[in-house]
Amino acid sequence: MKEPPIWQKFGEHVLLATWNTGIDEKVNAEVLRYSNFIHQNFSKEIIEIVPAYCSLAVYLHESVVAKQFLEELRDTRFETTKTASEQRYIVSVPVCYKSDFAPDIATIASANDLSVSEVISFHTKPLYKVFFIGFLPGFPYLGGLDKRLHTPRKKTPQRYVEKGSVGIGGGQTGIYTLDSPGGWNILGRSPLRFFSSELEPPSLLLAGDYVKFFSVSKKEFIKIEAQIENGTYKIKKEVYNG
Amino acid sequence: MVKVISGGLYTTIQDLGRYGYRKYGVPLGGVMDSYSSRLANRLVGNNRTEAVMEITYIGPVLRFDIATEIAITGAGFSPTLNNIEIPLNTRIQIPEGSILKFGLPGYGQRAYLSVAGGFKTEYIMGSYSYHRGITLKPSIDTGDQLSIATYTNGQSEVTASVKIRRSYFTSSVIEAFKGPEFNSLSELFQQQLLNSVGVILPESNRMAYLLKGYETLSAKEIITAPVQPGTVQLMPSGRCAVLMRDAQTTGGYARVLQLTEKAINLLAQKRAGEEVQFKLL
Repeated sequence: MKEPPIWQKFGEHVLLATWNTGIDEKVNAEVLRYSNFIHQNFSKEIIEIVPAYCSLAVYLHESVVAKQFLEELRDTRFETTKTASEQRYIVSVPVCYKSDFAPDIATIASANDLSVSEVISFHTKPLYKVFFIGFLPGFPYLGGLDKRLHTPRKKTPQRYVEKGSVGIGGGQTGIYTLDSPGGWNILGRSPLRFFSSELEPPSLLLAGDYVKFFSVSKKEFIKIEAQIENGTYKIKKEVYNG
Repeated sequence: MVKVISGGLYTTIQDLGRYGYRKYGVPLGGVMDSYSSRLANRLVGNNRTEAVMEITYIGPVLRFDIATEIAITGAGFSPTLNNIEIPLNTRIQIPEGSILKFGLPGYGQRAYLSVAGGFKTEYIMGSYSYHRGITLKPSIDTGDQLSIATYTNGQSEVTASVKIRRSYFTSSVIEAFKGPEFNSLSELFQQQLLNSVGVILPESNRMAYLLKGYETLSAKEIITAPVQPGTVQLMPSGRCAVLMRDAQTTGGYARVLQLTEKAINLLAQKRAGEEVQFKLL
């Protein structure tokens, strides 16, 4: 592999690997590959792994000696085989960018000297990479936001952001998967359910997936919402062959 | 069934937490003071993984519609059974129809109530632990009915009782390892972090304890990275947060220290206004 991570202990039974590189799609791909590699080779030793942009935490069973685990890890050839469960998808996410659902779209537009329709067009254009899930259950940290849409976070976070809200915070864009406080500027809302505790996995989006936003009218939003309610909506998901 | 006559301040069902779901952004959760909850389970002969009731500062009033055995551990409440005082840290027989009250704690702030065989409430993603957005309810309310395991007589022949050292609740020393960003702090800030006395702020909760007393320090934000219960975050403004059991799975503030499991348990019993000092291991 290109650049090995730096390992350190992070409390009693946790190891942390860090790549000192900053936010980068290639490095994040390496983080996820490393996570798969550990899952495949050390499933007995670990409880779980939490990947982030350029680091990952390995939560070890109490009986595992961290130092010994690291030695074994170093001695194991870094290889991963793609299994079906690691197949990644492009998930099409409907978003209504209409003002009821987009309280801050005018702020984003004026901060960047754009029209509202330009904001929508720049936001729906990219294929966003899901770097990892964090902050809230199912909340995707997405990479690939157009520089022309970067907008600082609000000075004071809002007490209540409705679930499904799509926001921009600095250079990041993401979806509030549950009702939550939040400081990002909200430019739309999706009717999809991003987190369902009764499903396995409970998160609609997984680290390594891709997201494509598409704009829907308020009428379509309501229709999709009803279809989700009665279980007839089919989320558009294509296999990613990148 | 246990009927909740009064819900108390913040009463929840907790076990050891929700393992295996942190990569989906699901907080670990689980009992704040795992030492006391483990003791509660042990006293009634339960496995350490059984779900217990976590009681915070103002206890609930409960009616047991079936007979069972219980134990209450943790903070120094003065519980009564049918208005007769009962001891803490002791296995107690509960006849059908009994009313259990807690009163207020003289020391500490979280108590654990175990029942023989454990609470059998909503079980989701491998855990009974209540959590907003995960379980149907974030906490127990007046009027709730809680299922418990069917009680089979027999374990109750021997009296089980233990003594707890009071220093568990009074010690202000919070032991910690260096966190991933500890060495990025200047030597002066490292010393100040360890020599300052922190005061627990009232906003503290199951997600994080906020501490006052580190305002002269500062640490740069980091690229969002994994955090866990016991992670001490230092913000650019000098605000200091100790993440607790319901902490998010990732965070963007410098992780300067990592508490031991024991230190998390000790801190979980501390109230707003109490003082703490970090000690590096």
